[in-house]
Amino acid sequence: MRKKELKLIVTFHTTADAMAMEKACKEQGASGRLIPVPRAISAGCGLSWCADLECRDALKKVMQSVGIEEEEMHECMV
Amino acid sequence: MNLSDSKKKLAIAGAVCGLVAAALAYFGNPANMAICIACFVRDTAGALGMHQAEVVQYARPEIIGIILGSFVISVATKEYRSTAGSSPMIRFILGIVIMIGSLVFLGCPLRMILRMAAGDLNAYVALIGFILGVATGAFALKKGFSLGRAHETNKTNGTILPILMAGILILAVCTTLLKSSEAGPGSVHAPIIIALLGGLIFGIFAQKSRMCFAGSIRDVVLMKNFDLLTVIGGLFVVMLIFNIATGKFVVGFNTPGIIAHSQHLWNILGMYAVGFAAVLAGGCPLRQLVLAGQGSSDAAVTVLGLFFGAALCHNLGLASSGTAMNAETQELVMGAATPNGKVAVIICIVVCFVIAFTNKREAAK
Repeated sequence: MRKKELKLIVTFHTTADAMAMEKACKEQGASGRLIPVPRAISAGCGLSWCADLECRDALKKVMQSVGIEEEEMHECMV
Repeated sequence: MNLSDSKKKLAIAGAVCGLVAAALAYFGNPANMAICIACFVRDTAGALGMHQAEVVQYARPEIIGIILGSFVISVATKEYRSTAGSSPMIRFILGIVIMIGSLVFLGCPLRMILRMAAGDLNAYVALIGFILGVATGAFALKKGFSLGRAHETNKTNGTILPILMAGILILAVCTTLLKSSEAGPGSVHAPIIIALLGGLIFGIFAQKSRMCFAGSIRDVVLMKNFDLLTVIGGLFVVMLIFNIATGKFVVGFNTPGIIAHSQHLWNILGMYAVGFAAVLAGGCPLRQLVLAGQGSSDAAVTVLGLFFGAALCHNLGLASSGTAMNAETQELVMGAATPNGKVAVIICIVVCFVIAFTNKREAAK
């Protein structure tokens, strides 16, 4: 079984924002991937962006550049 | 207990829901319908007099229990959030579409899985449509579909649907106001206390595991993530074992007495509409009940759409008929989608496409 690591989790207000995030990160070469929102964070069945902790600033820049507003940024074991 | 931090726990949560479904079937719910959200919302709508189909009128405690179970567990675990404002009228329409598609197929995605576990090959045919519908919805999401974000509202706003459900329960137990079928599927049910308890347990486990039939396939399509599918797998396996053990596993297309028909095209298109609309609405009928229970007024409006859709189905002759044995002649009478139902499903699919490709993220902000 894969060992869990502390990751940066970005949650969004809508699924569409999460999809837009995936597209923007791919276009701008930012790291991370879409995952279901970890159960420890929220009860929603939405999507979230999972990346390494050190990517926080880079991801914020990506979101600013395409006008995505995150709901919250968390650090949790994934 | 965190039920979703491992696939094993998710499978156990699904298995518990499967046990509840098996128990409800054992204690008297209609064969092969054990716990169907669309059918039971339709029966409850009938009990309230929203339609006059006398054989499907009964205030199903399972529906009430699922919403109340989700409400109680979300309050207890501080996950209750009263939210609203994400295109409510579009969600109302999506609720109607989900109900029409379900009643043309004769079952919601949950019952589709239960029918599959009983060997009904029509449900496997319908699964093709459901997967295609979910995939179309996922494609729309990739193209920027959005109904806009929900906002926090007054805390009491999210309690309205649970309170209404508790009200229906009180009316059902303490008065004779509600209609109750004396024949047909509506007259076949488990005792109220067992049905309510089953619904509560189902609601609690569905809330904790985020069980969602549309979401499970959507996650596979969008992220190759199988977590939610594991929950469904647990439920399927338990029902499969139950059906085999009790001699109810019958492989075939034209099995009388299980309330299903064998018109493949309409089974596929009915569930296509359900899968498509469910992804656009953010969850299958079960998930809408659970989300409504944990405070989402947007999901509650979708549930109201389900009720309205159920009334339309029976008032306008949209619901299909099931294959049955004529008691006098002992001849098999084939079930079928009605002409009105076929037209309605086509309209529903067109409506889904219009909603999917006219509501964009940029416009919703």
